[in-house]
Amino acid sequence: MAVEHTKPIPSPIGENKPKIDARVKSTGAAIYADDIQFGNNLLYARIKRSPHPHARILSVDTSKAATVPGVKAVVTGDDYPGYIGLYLQDRTIFCRDKVRYVGDPVAGVAAISEEIAEKALDSIKIEYELLDPVLDPEFGAGPNAPLLHPDLGHYEVANFIIPKPGTNISNHFKIRKGNVETAWKQCTAIIERKYRIPHIQHVPIEPHVAIAQVEQSGEITLWGSSQSPFAQRNLIAKALGISQSDMRVIAPYVGGGFGSKAGVSMESLAVAIAMKVPGRPIKLLLTREEEFYTAFVRQGLVSYYKMGCDESGKILAMENTFYWDAGAYTEYGVNITRASGYSSSGPYEVPNIKTDSYCVYTNHPVGGPMRGFGMPEMHAGLEQCIDELALKLQIDPVKFREINCLKTGSILVTGSKMHATGLPECLQKTAEAIRWGQDSPPSSPNKRRGKGIALMWKAPAMPPNAGSSAWIELAEDGYITVGVGGQDLGQGAFTVAAQMAAAALGVPYEWARVATPVDTRYSPYEWQTVASRLTWSMGNAIVNAAQDARRQILDIAAEAWNEDADNLDVVNGVVISYKTERELPLENLVVYGLPKDDDQGWIGGPIIGRGNFMPTYVTGLDPETGQGERAVVHYTTGAQAVDVEVDLVTGRVDVIKGAAAFDVGKAINPDLVKAQMEGGFIQGMSSALFECLQLKDGVLQNPSFVDYRIATSTDIPDEIQTIIVEVPQDDGPWGARGIGEHAMVPTIPAIANAIYAAVGVRLEGPPFTSEKIYLAMQDAGIVS
Amino acid sequence: MINPYPGLPEFEYVKPASLKEASDFLHQHKNSACPFLGGTDVFVRLRDRLSRENYLVDIKRLEGLNNISYDPERGLTIGAAVNMNKVIVSPEINSHYPILVEACRSVASYQLRNRATIAGNICNASPAGDTIGACLLLDAKLSINGVNGKRVVSLQEFFIAPGETILGPGDIVTSIHFPVPRPGTQGKYVKLGRNKLSDLAIVGVTVIGYPNNDLRSGYQIKIALASVAPVPLVVNQVEELLSTSAIDENIISDAAEIAMKVSSPIDDIRASARYRKIMVRNLSQTTLQSVWTELTEHSDNLEQSIKTSRRN
Amino acid sequence: MAIHRIFPTINGELEQVDVPSNMTLLKMLREKMAFTGTKNGCSAGECGACTVLLNNEPVNSCLVLAVECDGADIVTIEGLAQDGKLALVQEAIIKSGGVQCGFCTPGVLINTMALLDRNPNPSDSQIREALVGNLCRCTGYIRIIDSVKKTAQMLKAERSELWQ
Repeated sequence: MAVEHTKPIPSPIGENKPKIDARVKSTGAAIYADDIQFGNNLLYARIKRSPHPHARILSVDTSKAATVPGVKAVVTGDDYPGYIGLYLQDRTIFCRDKVRYVGDPVAGVAAISEEIAEKALDSIKIEYELLDPVLDPEFGAGPNAPLLHPDLGHYEVANFIIPKPGTNISNHFKIRKGNVETAWKQCTAIIERKYRIPHIQHVPIEPHVAIAQVEQSGEITLWGSSQSPFAQRNLIAKALGISQSDMRVIAPYVGGGFGSKAGVSMESLAVAIAMKVPGRPIKLLLTREEEFYTAFVRQGLVSYYKMGCDESGKILAMENTFYWDAGAYTEYGVNITRASGYSSSGPYEVPNIKTDSYCVYTNHPVGGPMRGFGMPEMHAGLEQCIDELALKLQIDPVKFREINCLKTGSILVTGSKMHATGLPECLQKTAEAIRWGQDSPPSSPNKRRGKGIALMWKAPAMPPNAGSSAWIELAEDGYITVGVGGQDLGQGAFTVAAQMAAAALGVPYEWARVATPVDTRYSPYEWQTVASRLTWSMGNAIVNAAQDARRQILDIAAEAWNEDADNLDVVNGVVISYKTERELPLENLVVYGLPKDDDQGWIGGPIIGRGNFMPTYVTGLDPETGQGERAVVHYTTGAQAVDVEVDLVTGRVDVIKGAAAFDVGKAINPDLVKAQMEGGFIQGMSSALFECLQLKDGVLQNPSFVDYRIATSTDIPDEIQTIIVEVPQDDGPWGARGIGEHAMVPTIPAIANAIYAAVGVRLEGPPFTSEKIYLAMQDAGIVS
Repeated sequence: MINPYPGLPEFEYVKPASLKEASDFLHQHKNSACPFLGGTDVFVRLRDRLSRENYLVDIKRLEGLNNISYDPERGLTIGAAVNMNKVIVSPEINSHYPILVEACRSVASYQLRNRATIAGNICNASPAGDTIGACLLLDAKLSINGVNGKRVVSLQEFFIAPGETILGPGDIVTSIHFPVPRPGTQGKYVKLGRNKLSDLAIVGVTVIGYPNNDLRSGYQIKIALASVAPVPLVVNQVEELLSTSAIDENIISDAAEIAMKVSSPIDDIRASARYRKIMVRNLSQTTLQSVWTELTEHSDNLEQSIKTSRRN
Repeated sequence: MAIHRIFPTINGELEQVDVPSNMTLLKMLREKMAFTGTKNGCSAGECGACTVLLNNEPVNSCLVLAVECDGADIVTIEGLAQDGKLALVQEAIIKSGGVQCGFCTPGVLINTMALLDRNPNPSDSQIREALVGNLCRCTGYIRIIDSVKKTAQMLKAERSELWQ
């Protein structure tokens, strides 16, 4: 199904084409969901949310709300009994009997203005019976914790998720490979550490927004800032008990996703409210404050690592326990537990490994997919332990990683074999780029300088049968339109879609358009825009569609010219014969067909190519051992290094320089790949130095930009070197695999390792704020 | 649970034509009206449901509020409505009161500084106010228009508690006055935030010093601290120490220790009291040292040029 | 709540708008007048996505009342390109790859215009300082800063005004 890699790479694959959407975005003409004009018919929704982390709902009195002038609908959980969820259906659209986190939606109002809706919310009276909350995942996993989901055993669940009913553990993933107990005895050095990674949030600059309209006939239209129109249609339809075909999702430009706009979070609320006011569109727009804690957050992690190696530095064993603070509902987060479990060796060959990864319900905001899907949280501690192990044996951390990192053919933690990988090349090039081994001088006597490095790996985490499809249509001018279901979140998915379609069909890049916005009524199915899967999966579908169109075109020309289709080609928008050198521009053929030679009739018709791609080779994993023949479709691997400076007066950490190398298989658009490496580095750096959702008794203390700090233009390093490594993926288009998430994965441990090199302190977890670093240095006697 | 409105709550916008009209209106509607200049504090408070005024009184265009005037005999007057970016580019303020420029530059962002004002910073009375320390150390005085006429109040007497000042209903700060600066004045504002720029002050240190031959040390050096006490804190004990003893590195260290002891920061979501106290010491140390170096370098130059001019 | 009739000039055109007292300039632009290019990221003056020029100076329009803009001169992102021809800042950001999701882009471009207006040849640190009030989550700022430098170069080469 994949394009052969032996053929020469056709244009514009590998070229830095400017983004297809850059112009419309830079003129203000790009339409995002909140920009769509709905006219006077539009109603505004606001949500009444639980102020308690854990409570039983005793009564909900909405009687006054309905009488406020301008209020058109009031909705509670009583109206919607259906469960919803991606991998585990553990939540209802509105709370019905319990609230499980501060922010949990209890009631909704639609009114002619947001102000009137707020007034109506103020009049809704809810009586709660407070329940003891679970605020720590280790405690939550234990026997004394209150039970957050007594019905866990009755929830519909995907067959690769293993919940423990009667507990707060909604997924327990295990790796049992080899024998760690005997292996410890052979280890010369062992490191045991605990790390605590706090919750953070995606902080898309565009908050979540959804507009829903339900017709009298029951048909639903949902407009939204969405990474996953098809998944949203599927999940919401199921929860409402309607047919997927009776729901339409339209997804205009997205102002940043990072995973927050995947799956279903607040969109179902808009639909539920809209059902009460048929014929009128209802808009729900989250405030920035709500964005911080009521949609998705990145779950917290308490992780225990133990790893040991022999005297030559070869890792012999690892033992990991992960307690994921997954929040009130884990319908999506259960797979993060699994993904981290089957990746728990890090990008290393480890013969003996025991992992227990627990997804734990807590009365915290809902953990969902965030760039990296568990990999940043897991690598944060793991890559520090790798450094510590190396340093214990006095082996250089780069050398230690050279010894142990995955190579082509390595045996993986799940027992599968590593495909062709450029990880060693990524490591070597990154170390070179940061000038590993040469200490940079500090910029003043009050500063200390240090370098750190970290590796990563990640596979697209998704069901084994997540599919893509595409169509290609040609117009009278010979230009092509590519239909896709994947979304451009800014990463450039539409641009590379156009590049791949043009290359596979044989037309100039400028002839390729993408059919936007993605609209489930017209766009072809795409599982979700997550997992860094589009270039690979959607790309394969596009290539198949283009080849399908090509075949149709060449068959028509072959018949019209009485030639063998094998001697024909489409080059630069022209059908040519290698045999007779006959030529015909595409525009002459793709809509009206060609006349027969004897003028007695026609051949062909409007060309429409279609293609799909779904991996068929992922096997399951044994629920007891986590072993299986093929756990995932593939891995992207890479390395990041940093050169940091620590200020001894304030404890501030400055990242002076960064370097990164990732094996992307084939960079369809190298500039876009580099842009991901840059943006991911900075987002990773921001999570390492500044970011933390400060939860106290389940209440978020800092839900605003004032006190949730992210990197600004003044915080970034002087220079980030980004290096593309290309070891082709056997079933990727021209060898391509993903990059979007991977660039954020190794940054926390790279910085942590550099801080240790500079001043000799390590913290229990990020963010490495000035205060935490200074006080750690003070406790260690480095400063007074 | 922090729960701001999506937008601003309902209120009436009032634009009085004169100071008298403004003060009278504010007095008449005490508890339900407040004046605003740039609105960067007032609007945020309203949206956050921290206050609930029915009337917002726009005083930006009133007489005398938009001028910057400098007189070498009388000093500097900055109208209350002059935004911080205007302060930053003013030639007179740069020449004679550069510490005000430095303090303004540290505030938020360029966009916000087009609306934010020093007077607003003062009236908001946050202990974290970036420009307040400089104003205190420069002996600023506030011109206030009230229902009973105008009066002048020293900034030293202005603050009562976080968010609370001596302003009563109907009072409007119209301008801030700074006396003529002493010859040889050096100053520095150091602000520690969580980001490199644009954050609130976790700890802020303002130091101003100038030669003063009436003092044993020959220099008058003053220090003000932000975010470490309920109100912006002037540490008189430091001024005392640095005026009576010959100044060297050790005395500066002692001064920093005193500043640390006198400060009383709290634990909050931005930082801990423990860290803030140490930062008071460390940053007072470096800031005092820096100003001291500037003072001695410049006074050397001053002496040199006096000697040179005498020779000629 | 009173409705005020105001006469702002927006992107060179004199307009008449009726606005309630509590309507922000941002809301007026987006909801009353369909200038949806200016974005709402936080409603609190922190993210800069709502930046417009008010009397030639960039402000967070979420913290300006519409009623304050009677007689004011406002420029939004829609006012940068003239007759289909992109402004230099727009060309530069496209070329530099500084547009990913695009949500911060209008605010960034307005702020950049103003920066180059007052300082046609800014240093790296001056650019960073000027842009600190524009939060971007996608690009890491690198190509945005690069585009400002590019624009300064283009300006120098062109020796022409940003505004006609």
